Amino acid sequence: MREAVLQALSGVLTDPQVLLIIVVAAAYGIFMGAVPGLTATMAIALFVPVTFFLDPIPALAAVVTLEACAIFAGDIPNALLRIPGTPSSAAYADDAYALTRAGRSSEALGICLTFSVAGGLFGTVVLMLFAPQLANVATWFTVAEYFWLYLLGLSCAVIVSRGSMLKAAFALIIGLLLSTVGLSAVHTQARFTFGQAELFQGINFIPAMIGLFGVSEVFRNVLTYDAAATAAQVAPSDVKPSKFSVWQRFTRSVSSVFEASLPFLWARKWHTLRSGAIGSMVGMLPGAGADIGAWVSLAASKRFSKNPEEYGRGSAEGISDATSANSASLAGAWVPALVFGIPGDSVTAIVIGVLLMKDIKPGPEIFEKQAALVYSIFLIFFLANLVLIPVGFLAIKAGGYVVKIPRRVLLPVILLFCVIGSYAINGSYFDIGIMLVMGVLGFILERREIPLGPVVLGIILGGPLEERFIQTLSSSGSGWEAFFSRPMAAALGAAAILVWVAPIVIRLARAVRSPNTK
Amino acid sequence: MQSLSRQFVLFMTVALGATCCGCRGHDEYPNGPIVLVCPWAAGGGTDRTAREVAVLLEQELGVPVNVVNATGGAGVTGHTRGALARPDGYTITMVTVEINMLHWRGLTNISYHDYDPVGMLNRDATAVFVLPDAPWKNPGDLERSIRDNPGKVRASGTAQGGSWHLGFAGWLNHEGIDPGDAIWVSINGSAPSLQELIAGGVDVACCSLPEAQALLDAGRIRCLGVMADQRVEQYPDVPTFKEQGVDWSFTAWRGICLPNGCPAEVRDHLAVALENVAQSQEFRGFMSHAGFDVTWQPPDEFAATMASVDKQLGELLTSKAMQSMRRARFGPMLFPGVLAVVGGACLLGLVVSGQLRRTADTASLSLRDLGRLAEIVVWVVVYLIFAETAGFLLTAGVLLALLLIRLGNRWFASVAISLAVVAVTYELFAVVLKVPLPRGWLGW
Repeated sequence: MREAVLQALSGVLTDPQVLLIIVVAAAYGIFMGAVPGLTATMAIALFVPVTFFLDPIPALAAVVTLEACAIFAGDIPNALLRIPGTPSSAAYADDAYALTRAGRSSEALGICLTFSVAGGLFGTVVLMLFAPQLANVATWFTVAEYFWLYLLGLSCAVIVSRGSMLKAAFALIIGLLLSTVGLSAVHTQARFTFGQAELFQGINFIPAMIGLFGVSEVFRNVLTYDAAATAAQVAPSDVKPSKFSVWQRFTRSVSSVFEASLPFLWARKWHTLRSGAIGSMVGMLPGAGADIGAWVSLAASKRFSKNPEEYGRGSAEGISDATSANSASLAGAWVPALVFGIPGDSVTAIVIGVLLMKDIKPGPEIFEKQAALVYSIFLIFFLANLVLIPVGFLAIKAGGYVVKIPRRVLLPVILLFCVIGSYAINGSYFDIGIMLVMGVLGFILERREIPLGPVVLGIILGGPLEERFIQTLSSSGSGWEAFFSRPMAAALGAAAILVWVAPIVIRLARAVRSPNTK
Repeated sequence: MQSLSRQFVLFMTVALGATCCGCRGHDEYPNGPIVLVCPWAAGGGTDRTAREVAVLLEQELGVPVNVVNATGGAGVTGHTRGALARPDGYTITMVTVEINMLHWRGLTNISYHDYDPVGMLNRDATAVFVLPDAPWKNPGDLERSIRDNPGKVRASGTAQGGSWHLGFAGWLNHEGIDPGDAIWVSINGSAPSLQELIAGGVDVACCSLPEAQALLDAGRIRCLGVMADQRVEQYPDVPTFKEQGVDWSFTAWRGICLPNGCPAEVRDHLAVALENVAQSQEFRGFMSHAGFDVTWQPPDEFAATMASVDKQLGELLTSKAMQSMRRARFGPMLFPGVLAVVGGACLLGLVVSGQLRRTADTASLSLRDLGRLAEIVVWVVVYLIFAETAGFLLTAGVLLALLLIRLGNRWFASVAISLAVVAVTYELFAVVLKVPLPRGWLGW
């Protein structure tokens, strides 16, 4: 084992090609994650042909770094413009954007960066210590357990929303109903397509997300904008940097990003461990990825927070817990991929392809036969998260210029990027139409204070939820008892039902106890 | 601002010049990037094959070949996109065996007649997997078990009506058993189906051998047999159905096709390049590593294969037994129905409690506000209509400039900003990242 570790260390750390590739992949991943419509999956799919010409270690180094950086970079437009760069950031769009509007964009992004790195490192440790044992978690999950898990994830989206739970539930149902458009995956029969061939594939959640968050924000701004204002108030400390020397300016800009977030990380170390654990567990389950991880962690965070009323209005606690969970889930997804060859998410699906191409067969024996390679992957995960610190810092600084651009220039450019992003994901004009319709829908819902996050999650999870629902029903001869017939399913089901019933019971109990007060 | 605009103008001139250098100059095919439509998701077997073909085809043809995953609708989306693409040889499709099923099931009008075949690349046979401690030792055992206890054995491997399902149901049908006597749990994709198998949610999983390799090698699952005429080269230990006394084989195929109506010389040019790819050492090496078989068929032979498989599947899919299977107990409207009821209840609750009324701090929309919103919508729709014909640079530039001017920027600055932004974006997306942008008749 020691030999394998040493081999991995020398293979990764002393190879200039690997180190160079990590830096280049970090920059590429940051860019792909930061542009809404270009996702981490897409970044890696586009990168696959390049891996043909690389050795296994550099190829995996690129993929891991790309993924880690893209998931963080999704936070940048999320905080600055309220457009999630990747779906994993959607959970805390309102919180992060609220901080930017309060002139605290550096602080918000500093928190995103610090906690992304912390979550990513935590996920790596979990991968290192428990990969072979934890891979068995996936083998407990049949369709019935997945049904409850998805329902639990959706319920979390309702709980974390600010304001009325009824409105959040309504938003969720809108998203779920939108997801039923097109060919039902489980029946392979068309629904609500009105004879439109494009609607067969359903409503793609990337253009829908860009429309709901991005375009609706453009609409809102166009109505309220003032030709002279900038997208956000510039923090006073940023106004006159020219007085200081280059070194002073550098230390000041470093401290503007990290001065709040590092003490905050120390203060919330136990919360971060919890969020990392949630992220790792969710990431390990095939079909549940960084996005669900973020929502579940955010819900847990709100449930146990002393300031639950801040959530959705710029809660640094919420952002930190959600962003550490989505980064932690990345390493988790590698567990079933390495041990069983079952991908935990779409990125590891591609990774398995790359591994096979390099004649490396995933499976339990990979830990014995390819030990050096496995340790190299662990090491690369560490390096990727460490390289994220400087690269992410530069990206935050570059992003800082975005909020200083006058809104009369910024709004049309955002709209153009929304259009490009919607088209790029599938090369389909229809998706631009979907983006536009969702923009109008998002604008209307916002005016009635109906949250948009649950709509997006509903569109993403509606398909899988229905699949598991029908599969569970049809796999048992007679029907409904299949949802509770396995102990794991029964436990998850009880949790999912409790999440809904508990607030109602508490409210009823209060109403009974104090009938006079409203 | 003024001097900044000057810098912009200078910058965009350079950027635009650089961009135009990449435009199509002469008329000989191929002289522009080729899009390879993959109807299945990134990471799957078809996608991996498509990406390998794209890289090698790029070397053969000397132009970029970009894979676009047009997924969804059980393959309808990608196959429709590929068949309806402009027949100029710049859109090719990785067509899969599903083209021989979708039209029989009434999911689309597109069939293999809508494609001009270039060449078949591989065929994979269905294999049947069970848990190591399962009571069945061979296909015969499983068949008897299903015959004696109808409605007890649960199987999966793909969605209802997918290729592996047809392999399994076709086998039962061939043996004179109603395919409905085994419960087919419709799970999209072989990886989640195998997971369901090891988690105990189903008893049998059907997919190709390479898809199950990791679990098979680890001894987590056992293979009862493969529905091929001969043993698969990479898996010499796995017996065929035929050896075990079952005269049934079922293979899925993959190949490259053009939409109908392409010039013959374009098709021939591609066929030669593709044959070089299929026969190349690199491709064979990749396919054998990935566990896929390589079966090259030139256009005529490929066309004949498609026709014969289409006939076989047509007979199976229109048979009485399969028709009766399609009536699922839990229909496609069950889930939307439940949602509609819950959503209706939520809406009712919101209306009754008065939460849908506008709050005081949301101003009402004036006619002028509505006009402003409508204008934005109209501009984007204009882009939608003209982008395909006029190309990205022109449409996006005009759209951006108009929006900038309408938001109160000076026209000079607006034009400069939009030219710079559009040129840089094009360079970054289409040239560096090879992300698709509308091409139009100018090629950009």
